[in-house]
Amino acid sequence: MSERWKVSTSGRDSLVADFRPWLGRLGRRRRRLWLGGALMLLTAAAGIGLLALSGWFITATAVTGALIAAGVAATLEVYVPGGGIRAFAVTRTVARYTERLYNHDTVLRVLADLRADLFAVLVRLDGQALSRLRAAEWLNRLTADIDTLDGLYLRLLAPPVVALLAMLAVVGLLGLMAPPVAWGAGLVLMALWGWLVIGQPAWGMAPGQREVATRDRLRSRMIELLQGLAELRGYGTLAPRREGLAALSRRLYADQRRLASRQGVAQALVGFGVSAAAVLALWLGARAHAAGQIGAATLVMLPLAVLALGEVFGALPGAFTRLGGTRAAARRLNALVATSGRIRPPRDARRLSEVMPALALEGVTLRYPDALTAALDDLSLTLHPGERLALLGASGAGKSSIGQLLTREIDPSTGRVTVDGTDLRQVSLDDLRERIACLTQHSELFQASVADNLRLADPEADEAALWRVLEAVDLAEWARSLPEGLETRVGESGRRVSGGQARRLALARVLLRPADVVILDEPFTGLDEATAARVAARLDTWLAECSVLYLAHDASRLPGVTRALTLSEGHLR
Amino acid sequence: MLAENTTPRAWLAELAGRVRGWLWLTGAAGLLAGLCTVAQMGLLAWLVDQLVTRSRDPAELSPAFGLLLGVLALRAVAQWAQERAGFEAGRRVRERVREQLLDHLVALGPVGLGDRHTAGLGQQWVEQVEALDGYFARFLPQLGLVMALPLVILAVVAWLDWLAALLLLASAPLIPLFMALVGMGAERLNREQFESVTRLAGHFLDRVRGIATLQLFNRAQESTREVYIAADDYRRRSLRTLRLAFLSSAVLEFFASVAIAVVAIYIGFGLLGYIAFGPADSLTLFSGLLILLLAPEFFQPLRTLSQHYHDRAAALGAADGLVALLKEPAEAPFQTATGSREAPFQTATGSREAPRITLRGVTLRHRGRDACLGPFDLSVAPGECVALVGPSGSGKSSLLQLLGGFLAPEGGEATITPRGPAAWMDQRPWLVQGSLADNLRLAAPMADEAALWQALREVRLDGLVAGLPAGLDTPLGERGVGLSGGQAQRLALARVFLAEALLLLLDEPTAGLDADTEAAVIEALQRLMRRGATVVIATHQPALCAAADWVLELTSMDASREAADV
Repeated sequence: MSERWKVSTSGRDSLVADFRPWLGRLGRRRRRLWLGGALMLLTAAAGIGLLALSGWFITATAVTGALIAAGVAATLEVYVPGGGIRAFAVTRTVARYTERLYNHDTVLRVLADLRADLFAVLVRLDGQALSRLRAAEWLNRLTADIDTLDGLYLRLLAPPVVALLAMLAVVGLLGLMAPPVAWGAGLVLMALWGWLVIGQPAWGMAPGQREVATRDRLRSRMIELLQGLAELRGYGTLAPRREGLAALSRRLYADQRRLASRQGVAQALVGFGVSAAAVLALWLGARAHAAGQIGAATLVMLPLAVLALGEVFGALPGAFTRLGGTRAAARRLNALVATSGRIRPPRDARRLSEVMPALALEGVTLRYPDALTAALDDLSLTLHPGERLALLGASGAGKSSIGQLLTREIDPSTGRVTVDGTDLRQVSLDDLRERIACLTQHSELFQASVADNLRLADPEADEAALWRVLEAVDLAEWARSLPEGLETRVGESGRRVSGGQARRLALARVLLRPADVVILDEPFTGLDEATAARVAARLDTWLAECSVLYLAHDASRLPGVTRALTLSEGHLR
Repeated sequence: MLAENTTPRAWLAELAGRVRGWLWLTGAAGLLAGLCTVAQMGLLAWLVDQLVTRSRDPAELSPAFGLLLGVLALRAVAQWAQERAGFEAGRRVRERVREQLLDHLVALGPVGLGDRHTAGLGQQWVEQVEALDGYFARFLPQLGLVMALPLVILAVVAWLDWLAALLLLASAPLIPLFMALVGMGAERLNREQFESVTRLAGHFLDRVRGIATLQLFNRAQESTREVYIAADDYRRRSLRTLRLAFLSSAVLEFFASVAIAVVAIYIGFGLLGYIAFGPADSLTLFSGLLILLLAPEFFQPLRTLSQHYHDRAAALGAADGLVALLKEPAEAPFQTATGSREAPFQTATGSREAPRITLRGVTLRHRGRDACLGPFDLSVAPGECVALVGPSGSGKSSLLQLLGGFLAPEGGEATITPRGPAAWMDQRPWLVQGSLADNLRLAAPMADEAALWQALREVRLDGLVAGLPAGLDTPLGERGVGLSGGQAQRLALARVFLAEALLLLLDEPTAGLDADTEAAVIEALQRLMRRGATVVIATHQPALCAAADWVLELTSMDASREAADV
């Protein structure tokens, strides 16, 4: 992928390194981010101005009023400050509304960028990494992690900057009027800001990261318990297993309690710190007032301006105490991006010749990490042009791995996979997959119409072609009976198709692809005998022009097999 | 199990009742913090008044400054206590719900769970229960504060200047309106957001799940573009909603800002003596400034509540799913010979004799199906091995589930005497993340290493494990990643040896295995039978039938059956 995704794998364990790829992502929307931040600042400034000017106004009127009451001819220009107060009130409301809308728009744009970029990485992963991805709990975690990082800007990036700028502006204002006040309040506020942005994350880091990890473990332990309910009840060992789960929950709660408590401390600190800074400003201001350096109205305005900072500081404790959780999400996604299981297309790829190719495994050994034994052990095999080879074996024997090797979804640990004698690693990936059509073990239908699902194989296919392949898999009649015909949506959010129908749709999709070699992994799973026989007969004619590799556990229903081999525990028999 | 008529709201209310003490404590701490704020503002205004109007020296006022810092410290403690007590309320609810849910899922049993996705249930048990937290920890206490704090502030303001109080009160009747507005806005926002987020996440997951297919059809680039387009489309649609939804909080914001502005101008003009009616002429800098400082606090509780509104929506959404799950009726437990209705096999203290199984006229009703299976008559002597054969749907698995105690008979009588631990195994061997030893000890937590090795020897896995560098401590990935199908099945079988169970219930234990592995499994089974265990196997593998003492053939969906000695 692009340079921006470079993830430090050198073991540098810094927070910045963990977030750098994500900050880089945001950089693309720099202008929007600055503008959104400016709007936040404007909202904060209007809030501060409203309170400070109101305080100033009331004090000024009180002083003037007292003078008038004492018979001194005093006047106060009321229209400018009155107008200012109204303007601040309206600005605050409008700016806030605009800011929220604008920044949510930005966040959603970032979300779209993030998803697309991450998908671009995932789509290059090899079959082995993908098989891990397929687990439902893993997918849930992935979306949760992305959601966590979507809010990076709105929760972690903009608020501290806005708080810092608003604080500097207020302190600067104080400095113009009464420098000692600015120093006093500024130091307190700066210390508070520093603690919230640097100290607080450090304090919450360990429990925050642990909390996310414990939650993950709790989820998988629970899933395991549910899967093994029959065994556990039978053996009478449910109680100790539940006790383990309860102990893990207690650990989760303990870390959550720490986080809540520390966040509470931070919130209390914001309340205390901002108010204390205001009190300090009043104290120092009072001395300046006594010394005749500042007027009464200014004396009141200073602490009120400080007090109004409470709102911008209030946004910091939550997000920064829980930075550990956000970091954990970033690290997991970084690890995913850095996954080594990636198919690298060759630099100067060779094109395949036009004739029907021969595919071969030459002394291939395939070893999955963590596996006790090799999935394929020094295996050699050739699929000659035009033949129909059936590779038979029990589940887990390694058949599907062979399919993945031939389409270069995975690369062998040792040995080579060749097409017409050329190593697959030197052949253009697009070219190879153009020529080989493969029905995988799982029928992967997408949430889209029947037509769209089929056209994955050939975007140019016209309707007649779609009907022809549906005919071949005995689904044409079914499709004609649907009110929306080919436009009927299938997949999770659409019409529920049975396992057998899904299988046949996936098969139709493979047939739509004009390929030289067709690999069919258990093509008749979920089909009843009669349907399987009908489809097999049509398949026989349909596949007349190609080489075929069947992967199945028995050969009984496969049409036109010319040669059969049996695979067992990674060896050919 | 929950009553049929329990609504999610009622369930949440019932849960709130259980942590009422903590909710009160949270609210009380919040109230104390609010009162401290009032005191803080009062002191601040008083100090300003003293400094400006009375021109007092700051040094003379240091006790008041000290008191002010004390009030701030007290407020900090109260704020912390509010957070902490709120957490406790939320945690207690979550702990209780997890407990309740797990009890219920166990009671539903393997049959009741049926083909529900365990990943989905795990997600519900962890994430959906987590989503209840904010409602109890933050929303409910804040709801109380919204009622109490503005009244306190209004009273103080009224005492200072009744007209200013009226100005605030003028917006008070609007507060219920705000709340409804905020509620509607937030609720709608949440619902629509939730739906479209779910749809978008669904789209993304759908494509991720199908990546292998996209790769094979050379569609990687197009699909990446599609992912972007879907997300961008989602953005456009949700902005339409947000534009309206944010209005409700903008209105709240507007009133809070305008209240400050109006109060400030009213007080200023009053102090100048421009207002000739009402209490305005008795305004002082102290009362005027205090009213100004209290005006935003009057609205603050409501603003906080609107921030917590999504907690409520999240909790209601979660409660929907959880209540539906909790309402699912659990199977009545197995009727044991002694007539006690406790679930069978819970205790391993049974006698060391193999059990005798007697079924008389037992009928079974499968979940969600109308057809009744049976009646079955079956008598298995201690130490006998019977194979149940028949086409799918004939009730092989249901009979095993009955014997396992996961399914109650519809009619007839079923007894297993004496009761002891029962080993259960089906075609998908159950493995957990952990070491090989952990996986074996699932059946016998106290087993020593020698016993583990003995069990591995019985299933001929000892050689393989001995060859591993970490031996018994070799870790297995999630769901036994790293083992082949046959190895996994034999590992599960080793557990059966380890449990020393005298009743074995096996559902298609050799399905999907090749002939060699099947032979190894059958050989191990025969060793188990020689120990005198009573064995019931549902299968359609001829080799396994041949190993049984006799075969019971079940015919499809009706009562007729034949027992024939082989």
